[in-house]
Amino acid sequence: MTDTRLLDAGTPPERFARGWYCLGLAREFTDGKPHKVDAFGEKLVVWSDTQGNLNVLDAYCRHMGGDLSQGTVKGDEIACPFHDWRWGGDGRCKQIPYARRVPLRARTQRYPALVHNGMLMIWHDVEGSEPDMEVLPPELPGIGTDEYTDWTWEVLDVPTAHCREIVDNVVDMAHFFYIHLAFPTNFRNVFEGHVATQFMESVGRPDVAGGYGDQDMMLKSEASYYGPSFMINWLEVDYKGFVTEVVLINCHVPTSQNSFKLQYGVCVKKPEGIDDATAEYIGKKYSDMFKGGFEQDVHIWLNKAPVQNPLLCEEDGPVYQLRRWYEQFYVDKADVVAEMTDRFEFEVDTTKANEYWRKEVEENLARKAAEDALAGAGSEHA
Amino acid sequence: MASFVPTDPETIEDQRRYTQARLVEVACQDCLAVVSVKKNSDHHTSIQWSERALGACAEFARMDHETSGRAVHTPCQRLSASIEKAVRDGQIPIGAEDGY
Repeated sequence: MTDTRLLDAGTPPERFARGWYCLGLAREFTDGKPHKVDAFGEKLVVWSDTQGNLNVLDAYCRHMGGDLSQGTVKGDEIACPFHDWRWGGDGRCKQIPYARRVPLRARTQRYPALVHNGMLMIWHDVEGSEPDMEVLPPELPGIGTDEYTDWTWEVLDVPTAHCREIVDNVVDMAHFFYIHLAFPTNFRNVFEGHVATQFMESVGRPDVAGGYGDQDMMLKSEASYYGPSFMINWLEVDYKGFVTEVVLINCHVPTSQNSFKLQYGVCVKKPEGIDDATAEYIGKKYSDMFKGGFEQDVHIWLNKAPVQNPLLCEEDGPVYQLRRWYEQFYVDKADVVAEMTDRFEFEVDTTKANEYWRKEVEENLARKAAEDALAGAGSEHA
Repeated sequence: MASFVPTDPETIEDQRRYTQARLVEVACQDCLAVVSVKKNSDHHTSIQWSERALGACAEFARMDHETSGRAVHTPCQRLSASIEKAVRDGQIPIGAEDGY
């Protein structure tokens, strides 16, 4: 018997989580052309019909397997490039131009779709249930009007990690210091029903650049996953007393059991007395800041091991309870048990951590000052 | 039926340790809600609700009936006060055991 701690990699689920997924901004799909989207180990086709509705089908034609995403939009239907079979948004074949009649069994996989907050959302459930409107993420008032800037939108590919890695961040207090280079001074989690929330207040580190701001930037963040993949993060950013309201969407689409596409978008409430171009510029700046943060996360995921049995210390957040919550989306609806959805609250004690981190940062600054002084003295003699 | 399946039986024990060990029942002083609480330190609090406790919470029921509904993250102040009292009365041991 050894007392060496072993990592349990566990076995990831074969299925993809039940819920609403965002495939991107609706405006990206309205050009009258078919669009290919990789999701759930499949290839999907998205197109806009004459009414402006967005439709989502499995991309492979049920005739001979042609790729509909390389086809043509004809009227309301998507036409296969192979034999011109015409598929409607309801998943039925509407017409075969060279045939007397369409086979009755010509139905393909459709994904119920709607546009919400300017985004294309689809419902996915391996059990084939009707879309659950009760668990659709909330509408964001004011967004899409002149009050806010337009969404920025970025996509990052994560080719070798399960999407649970990003969900785990909900409870990860300490990584904000090491990966996002900020002091998380307050940190709290609440899980209830299909919603998992993180509250955090943080201030940037003065000893390193490239994280979530510098020592003059204070963030108040409330971030909730509504279901397995779609997070709304409301941020109040205080930079030297200038407060900006930022909404960050952080969502993902699993593309296989071990890969996903991470997508994020930023909207900024236009500050009073600031022209639109400047407001858009501020939005872009925040998007760039989060881009850096997400890239740092991705680098960790691509190199880490999957862990089913994380070893925790007192300063860590409730990883096991979060995963128990996340589990509800991976079992049949009938198998969701109370412990997955019961309300749970957790306040992380950040006092000691911040004490140690402050000391570490002071030492870094002192060392840097000494090095700068030395370099300065050296150049004077040169 | 778990979806992420552990390959080591010890992982099941870890799951129990981190989600259930050291929980102490605390009854709200104002309603019939009973929750399970753990405190690893003065500033740390973990509160496990049950469906029954949530149904019994008068404060939450009141918020549920407001037009804007109840924000999931809002804590129940009455329960918080009850937990603080239980801590003062020495009912909840403070301090973690090897990280849990």
